[in-house]
Amino acid sequence: MTDDDFEDKKILVIQTHGIETPRRTYSPLFYAMAAAAMEMDVTVWFTMDGTSQLKKGEAEKVQLDPTSDVTLKTMLEQTQEAEVKLRVCQQSLALFDMSLDDVIDGVEILGATSIIDLSLNADHVMYF
Amino acid sequence: MSENPEVRGCILPLDLHYSVVDHTWIRVHDDKTVTVGMTDVAQNLAGELLHAKPKKVGTVRKKGKPLATVESSKWVGPVKSPLSGEVIAVNDELAGDATLVNRSPYKAGWIVKMQPTDLDAELAGMFTGQEAVDKYRERIEAEDIKACEHVEGFEI
Repeated sequence: MTDDDFEDKKILVIQTHGIETPRRTYSPLFYAMAAAAMEMDVTVWFTMDGTSQLKKGEAEKVQLDPTSDVTLKTMLEQTQEAEVKLRVCQQSLALFDMSLDDVIDGVEILGATSIIDLSLNADHVMYF
Repeated sequence: MSENPEVRGCILPLDLHYSVVDHTWIRVHDDKTVTVGMTDVAQNLAGELLHAKPKKVGTVRKKGKPLATVESSKWVGPVKSPLSGEVIAVNDELAGDATLVNRSPYKAGWIVKMQPTDLDAELAGMFTGQEAVDKYRERIEAEDIKACEHVEGFEI
């Protein structure tokens, strides 16, 4: 398989970890950006605790490296600039008592059936 | 005037053509082929590169499509092609030492060479000389892009 064969492949990243476990937040976004840089169609699906990453005002508080100015908010913004699609589970939002107004801009809310569609249509799924 | 003006410490040689929006440069050769690389601004924003992987020779790219993927410890992304054309050579040295881009963004750290398909028209959309410096200064100041830091052995 050559590099060109990767283009337009669909990657689905499922993120179940949130702001309470900062060390589990950066890497899935980094992999999503890498796949986007390789011209793949990338979606990150935030569900369960992962939902908390998307609550307005929270991601900027997560900073893995205190010597760096990169926060989780930076990572989310870079991911969106890379044209990675960010999606959040509607049912999980309810668990966190969140509504659309509580979610950062650019994130689409989808229901459980949509995750099944995304999974079946993806060429590869990565779970975190 | 210096042949290598600086904006916030970032070197911008006057003899190159720049895509300010994508942080890339090209050097046009007599045979109308071009060498493509990342600007000093780009290498500084990315940080010390861990990997730089150009597309293979023979790859045909439209302007704006990735010519390479580069990654540091804090960022991963594409090097977008400033021109449409075919990759005719890649910098194999990058496979062993991606920091060449940090140390020598305009010479040893070149990314690919291309045979453009629409050089004259697309070149008109790029900036060179003092105009390029002025355009880059506008962007750097508008986005408050951090000042360039150069690693030991940095060369122009």
